[in-house]
Amino acid sequence: MFAARLPRAFALRGPPIEGLPVRKASAAASALLVVYTFVIAGALGLSSAHWMTNGEYPFGRVGVGAWTVWPRSGSREADPYTRAVNARTGAIPLGVGEGLLLRASVDDGGRALDARCAYRVGPATPQARFWTLTLYDVAGRPVDTPLGRSGFSSAELLRDQNGGFSITVSREAATGNWLMMPESGPVTLIFRLYDSPASVGSAALDFRTVPRVERLECAP
Amino acid sequence: MTLRGQFALATLCAFVLAAIAHLAAVLAIPYLAEKDAFSRLRSTLSADRSEIIAAPGDLGTWLPYPDPDVALSTCAYTLEEGPVRVSARTGALFQSVSLHARAGGVFFAITDRAAVRGALDLVLMTRRQLDEALATEDPDEPSRDVRIVAPSREGLVVIRVLAAFPSQREEASEVAKSVSCTIDRE
Repeated sequence: MFAARLPRAFALRGPPIEGLPVRKASAAASALLVVYTFVIAGALGLSSAHWMTNGEYPFGRVGVGAWTVWPRSGSREADPYTRAVNARTGAIPLGVGEGLLLRASVDDGGRALDARCAYRVGPATPQARFWTLTLYDVAGRPVDTPLGRSGFSSAELLRDQNGGFSITVSREAATGNWLMMPESGPVTLIFRLYDSPASVGSAALDFRTVPRVERLECAP
Repeated sequence: MTLRGQFALATLCAFVLAAIAHLAAVLAIPYLAEKDAFSRLRSTLSADRSEIIAAPGDLGTWLPYPDPDVALSTCAYTLEEGPVRVSARTGALFQSVSLHARAGGVFFAITDRAAVRGALDLVLMTRRQLDEALATEDPDEPSRDVRIVAPSREGLVVIRVLAAFPSQREEASEVAKSVSCTIDRE
């Protein structure tokens, strides 16, 4: 009974006029079209929602040099996509006033960070009480290298006379602040500023005050 | 209408419905997710003390992109039974407390700079609980609590303690573990 009503409702046909022949085949065709509509709508709607909430926050990003910042991700104004991403990954964002997260998966030249290459990170940072720099593998875990170090905090660094610093991220040992690369794969650098004026207004960030991520050389 | 016209109309309807399904799915994900931080920590709702989620240097945590220099601990809260009092002692290490609404996001964050004599005390309540507290309060002796109205009844208190040196990791974990989150009955 329901099936008999469907074609009239969806095929936008008026009531059959007396004397005119009624095309029997169009009932099945209309039912197919209805199924087609819902299948396409469901597939497109759900897969696009899945795709947009699967990785980084899709909206509200600000680029500073090699780094990407999502200034509103830790505030009440976080958009629904940001909330969905957090819900799916289990991430606990840094609140505004608590700190700010900067993420780099590319170097200053826009090339993806690769474990086969060596990088120099430094020399300046935005104002903050503390900061940490951490190297992650593609799965979001801090790198696990034989050196047992996956990052630096601002207190641990060797600095030059002007207060600047330089961290070498490479597979081969380097002098000074050395962070060992994992064996292979794409990597991500995350730079966290704790208790920083920049977390309240990201206007305090400009490319001169964030660390540069410079590619040195790459193994073949 | 020709079959081709019907097909075009059905496709158009499909796109409109797809957009609606997309928005509905994005808005529903925080409530349906099973791997979000609150759902994972729901079992700790009755605990009176914060529990460590990611100890400094711990690579085995479920938290994505954990900071290896930070001890992160949480209390899951519900305001069903009354306001929740969060008490943290601060020490020499950087410490911050943030409040996350379930499916909402961060609605409050504070660092140890705001501590009074080495203590950070917050009282989390609903709007109704705040009105009740204000109505029953003695006007000559106003409460000194920092009262925060939560946008939803459930959420997480998140404590971060920074261990700037590996030698501070143990201390940072101890501080992160010692935050109390109790139901405030007055």
